[in-house]
Amino acid sequence: MTDQKIFNELKNAVLSYDADAAVKATKSAIQAKANPMELIEKALVPAIDKVGDKFEKMEIFLPDLMLAADAVKASTSLLLPLIPKGGKGVKATVVVATVQGDVHEIGKNIVASMLMARRFNVIDMGVDVKTSDLIEEAKKQKAKVICASALMSSTLGSQKDIVDFLASTGDRKKFAVLIGGGPTSQKWADEIGADGWGKDANDAVRLTEKYDKRK
Amino acid sequence: MVQILDVMKKALEGKPMSETDYQLKSFASTVQRLVKEHGIKFDPKNPIPTDNSLSNDVFKAAVELVVEVGAYCTDTSRVISFTEAEVKNALRTAPDKIHLGEGKDRKALRPRKPEDKTPPWCMLGAGGGACSSDRSFLTLVEGYAEIPETNAITTPAITRVGGMRIRPASPLELLGAMRNAVFAREACNRAGRQGIPIMNSLATAESDIALAAAVHPKYGMRTSDGYMICCMDPMKVDFNRLNKVTIVLSMGAPVGMCFGPLMGGYASGPEGTAVSSTAHHLMGILAYQSSWLLPFPLHLRYVSSSSREMLWLISATGQAISRNTHLLSLNLNYTSAGPCTPMCLFETSASVMSAVVSGQSIESTGVASNKDEDRTTPVEPRISAEVAHAVAGMKRADANEIAKKLLAKYESKLSDPPKGKMLFECWDPETRRPSKEYQKIVSKFKKEIGDLGIELRPEP
Repeated sequence: MTDQKIFNELKNAVLSYDADAAVKATKSAIQAKANPMELIEKALVPAIDKVGDKFEKMEIFLPDLMLAADAVKASTSLLLPLIPKGGKGVKATVVVATVQGDVHEIGKNIVASMLMARRFNVIDMGVDVKTSDLIEEAKKQKAKVICASALMSSTLGSQKDIVDFLASTGDRKKFAVLIGGGPTSQKWADEIGADGWGKDANDAVRLTEKYDKRK
Repeated sequence: MVQILDVMKKALEGKPMSETDYQLKSFASTVQRLVKEHGIKFDPKNPIPTDNSLSNDVFKAAVELVVEVGAYCTDTSRVISFTEAEVKNALRTAPDKIHLGEGKDRKALRPRKPEDKTPPWCMLGAGGGACSSDRSFLTLVEGYAEIPETNAITTPAITRVGGMRIRPASPLELLGAMRNAVFAREACNRAGRQGIPIMNSLATAESDIALAAAVHPKYGMRTSDGYMICCMDPMKVDFNRLNKVTIVLSMGAPVGMCFGPLMGGYASGPEGTAVSSTAHHLMGILAYQSSWLLPFPLHLRYVSSSSREMLWLISATGQAISRNTHLLSLNLNYTSAGPCTPMCLFETSASVMSAVVSGQSIESTGVASNKDEDRTTPVEPRISAEVAHAVAGMKRADANEIAKKLLAKYESKLSDPPKGKMLFECWDPETRRPSKEYQKIVSKFKKEIGDLGIELRPEP
């Protein structure tokens, strides 16, 4: 199989939102001794970028985005162990959650999918996540970034609790805390001392990229 | 008849499934298949559809969706299934009117049909939007109660108690919910409308325990108020919500399920979201034991309901429900633009018209996506109500032509709308009137919309 054919097969699996096909294409590519880093950069990244663009333009919708991100995740889980340590395969670990008391998950899912698609190691803790559990997990996973979503005016306070808890335990500088969600704003992020506010999922990815590059 | 104990039995014994599988493999894929099978198509050229067969197709697809995928309980990770017979029986036995309010403000909420001359029920206010202070809460609700068309109030949500921001399911939320009840009644008393029902009881009570605490009669809540419980998208329940249902049923008060399917979310485009929104009505009378339903479909990007796709899906849903059932459905609309802008008034007019000519009543208004505290005034719901009354009886075909002209006024600005002004920048709490600047905007708006064929009463 030529390199181009291998890349196309993997690319098409992502573009058709098919995790099983992505796994099959990845296994064939590995068998054919394709370079894992090249598979990521020349097949997975352009494919998921295309999916992201289509989602942005609302040519496709949430289920397709999530399934495409799953396909990328399934493929990278096979490829990343083959990349030598210190290689540039995977980016920082990011813990993503909807805050304590809030069960809204769509915004959080979009952010998690977009981050996953851009090769961040995403730990999605789900919804209504207790502040101390979120921080415990971020420490355990040696995360660089915490992304905390809140959709209700009554649950905004839980975003503040994350920042305050980290400050109280002396861990504030260990993590970048990014917030987002319907009632949030840059003003609110500044007020509570968060490191950034994502007005949408693209913004969340941009900010996470920024904090990933920091030591 | 499916009752709350049956819902619990189904939640405890239904088919086990992960939440992701329910959402993506079951719900999302079934919606897409049903849209194709029933040939449901969004027509961007006609934002208010007039084809009765479309509403029948949307309704049939919605019944099939509920029967095929059921609801989902996130606490038990099980599917709550309903048979077609249960769905049909629930539709047959659902209330065809409920009385809300006290004294001279006690009225009957009744179903409407497309192009119905019956004035829609107007539930007016903030749509649960957040306010920053007791002063802004009282100012807003007093203003809502003074609107002549107001049948029921939808209050803002209180965000702070004793200077502290509310934390979910904490004493702060309980105290906030109690304050919500007391202040809402007090503001209505000040306007001389002691009997008016508060129909989003209680916006500040997100948790079951806060609702239970604040419905104590000493805080002024009544069984003739409306109790709104919000469903998680898509068609999900949890014990917190079922607890709220149980509390409200035990009071003998009417449960209203609200739900905000996202256009671009799990149900995909406008067609799937219309099917989802219609299906939520059916699921609401079963799983949430609802007597009335409150859809607030939103555009995933704009977080509002005034775009071309949204007008279509409001209308398609409204017609599907009103032509095929006697359910009591009120559409809540959100604008992208904020107070003191013409765009906000044109947006709310378009969404309200779409709902009313399609057979729904209204809740209005979520202003500027309900994002910022105090970015709302009593003007926007007043205009919504005037439009709602003015278009009752209008033909869908006429409304469709007006909708196109309204869209032309704001459609290009939806991705970067003017945010307008805050409550106290354009509303005088003493005179209870809009600022001179806002008054001018309203007068000009009324002239322009009158030229389009919607005559509103002259401004004083």
